[in-house]
Amino acid sequence: MKRVLIALSLGATVLLAACGGSSVATNPSTGAPAITPPAAQLTGAGATFPAPFYSAAFYAYNQKYSQVTVNYQSVGSGAGIQQLTKKTVDFGASDVPMSATELAAAGGADTVVQIATTLGTESLAYNLQGVSNGQLKLTADTIAGIFLGKIKKWNDPALTADNGGVSLPDQAITVVHRSDGSGTTYIFTDYLSNVSADWKSGPGKGKSVNWPVGQGAKGNEAVATTIKQTPGAIGYVELAYVLQTNMTQAALKNKDGNFVIPSEAGATAAAKQFPDVTPSQFSIVNAPGKDSAPITGFSWLMLYKDQADKTKGTALVDLLDWLVSDGQQYGSNTHYAKLPSNIVKNDIISLKTVTSAGSALLTVPSPS
Amino acid sequence: MSRGTAAERVVRAPLVAPGRQRRFLSGDRIFQGLALASAAMILLIALIFVVALFIPALPAIRRFGLAFFVTRTWDPVRQNFGALPALYGTLVTSAIGLVIAFPVGLGSALFLAEEARLGFLRGPLSFAVELLAGIPSVVIGLWAFFILTPLMRDNVDPFLRSTFGFVPLFQGTANGYGYLTAGVVLAIMVLPIMIALSRDVLRAVPRALREASLALGATKAETIWSVILPYARVGITGAVLLSLGRALGETIAVTMVIGNRPVISASLFSSGYTLPSVLANEFTEAVGPLYQGSLFYLGLVLVLITIAVNVLARLLIWRFSGSDPASA
Repeated sequence: MKRVLIALSLGATVLLAACGGSSVATNPSTGAPAITPPAAQLTGAGATFPAPFYSAAFYAYNQKYSQVTVNYQSVGSGAGIQQLTKKTVDFGASDVPMSATELAAAGGADTVVQIATTLGTESLAYNLQGVSNGQLKLTADTIAGIFLGKIKKWNDPALTADNGGVSLPDQAITVVHRSDGSGTTYIFTDYLSNVSADWKSGPGKGKSVNWPVGQGAKGNEAVATTIKQTPGAIGYVELAYVLQTNMTQAALKNKDGNFVIPSEAGATAAAKQFPDVTPSQFSIVNAPGKDSAPITGFSWLMLYKDQADKTKGTALVDLLDWLVSDGQQYGSNTHYAKLPSNIVKNDIISLKTVTSAGSALLTVPSPS
Repeated sequence: MSRGTAAERVVRAPLVAPGRQRRFLSGDRIFQGLALASAAMILLIALIFVVALFIPALPAIRRFGLAFFVTRTWDPVRQNFGALPALYGTLVTSAIGLVIAFPVGLGSALFLAEEARLGFLRGPLSFAVELLAGIPSVVIGLWAFFILTPLMRDNVDPFLRSTFGFVPLFQGTANGYGYLTAGVVLAIMVLPIMIALSRDVLRAVPRALREASLALGATKAETIWSVILPYARVGITGAVLLSLGRALGETIAVTMVIGNRPVISASLFSSGYTLPSVLANEFTEAVGPLYQGSLFYLGLVLVLITIAVNVLARLLIWRFSGSDPASA
């Protein structure tokens, strides 16, 4: 991987030097050539889910290239898309790629480039006395049953069948879900629609849905806290919050029939199964593969294909090129999974289509 | 030119030099114009505000019309929206808040305005009221989220169920999040308004009435019950309505404890939704004109209800005391 990246940046350096978009400098500590992006102040707005990753990565980038500052406002995917459409920001971010309608409003599908920047996976966290972390086993059917309100008690036969050796109490299940519109909800309901016909024809998938049961809490934090202080509660939470707050989470049965505890590695493994993912075919839930974490999704970032300001545009594509490759390491502290190499490759191909006055701004060769 | 004595001419002469007077007048006129413009600006802002809510709400108004108010569904996936659960939740939680805050608030106000014997407690109590009024609602929300909800779930709700369980209001399972908890939070939040306004209204009752009642041999309690409260009734109603206005619009603290579910349930233990909570929750990720329009429609409804309640309250208080105690 590292060698690929060095080769990549080498190639990028040569080509960029040739086209004159960026100047070239040699990194004194490693001796390896690196791209020096032009000075620019970039602004972005959008999804809250990848915000911790973006903050960490953009901060690191600014430490590396002090001439580039990035201001990311986590105002929500909808607002991010709107601000991009109104061109008040340089890039937008969303947990769900822009829809056909949104693209039309932004000037057509051909005018916007959308790239996957990070991977998130979700856990089902629960609060059950005497059932420790990873002990509870859930299948697609039982998850759908619980969130449809068909499984009402923890000692329901459907649950005990998968959980031999665990004493599940005769206690009512309290379902906790997000009350605010969120990409987290989208990925979770996408999963439920994928595995359950009843869910698909019932609540369906979306950033907000009409939940059959349970109660809503605003934000991942509030969902996590509500579960922690409500005995018998269960809810879907981003992996990061589960790990950071030491919650107990269930082992989930994936498509291959293995019970996996959601992890960053599991998310990357799931994403690897979908090499042809595109902004219009972006769903990667319920992935095959023995290690795949089933409730996984990409987070997306979008920018205009034609950049009016060449300097700014060059700084932007340089930044995003770095974000999907070297920048991925800054996700691990915040429990975001690394993009698999095939997705990085697709992203860079997309970034290469970004132009200013007809000339491409990023001219690195595609990674092999 | 009038003819007269020198003295008359002096008397008729303007107090300031003619040139100076003209400048003075024009300054006056400028000030008047500025003041008028500022006043008009407020009205204009209010108008723009309503129009700015109305225009984006149009797609939803056209689609759902008045059926919006009786539709129980809130389904963003199928783009089918109705305001009834949120409207119901707003009214129920505000009602609970007022039912709790009214006796406590009026009692405190009576103590502050009428009770002389324990006068040394007045200072601390007034201070506590102002302190309560100054706590940001998000802090009250946090307290409610972490302390009140478990307390309601483990103590208050089971007690109510076992004692008044024959009433549908107190049936069903309770997990601490719902109408009742939100109502308690609202009661805490409107208490300072309730107390301060009622106290001012009570103080505005003419002293002569009190003294006449006492002189006729009525006890203190009888005076309060038969003279002061009937006289202050209109003003107190105004105080209740202003508290209601506050309760209707409270957002973040309610969002944290209401459970955020667009359902209608007879049980006060049930999770619900309120108009401001829907807005706070769903605005950031609402896409599409119909979804956004429905949220603007909710906002418009909320603004109109709140304006109506506030106007009514002000009118009542003005009628009673001739001045606006809220701005005093």
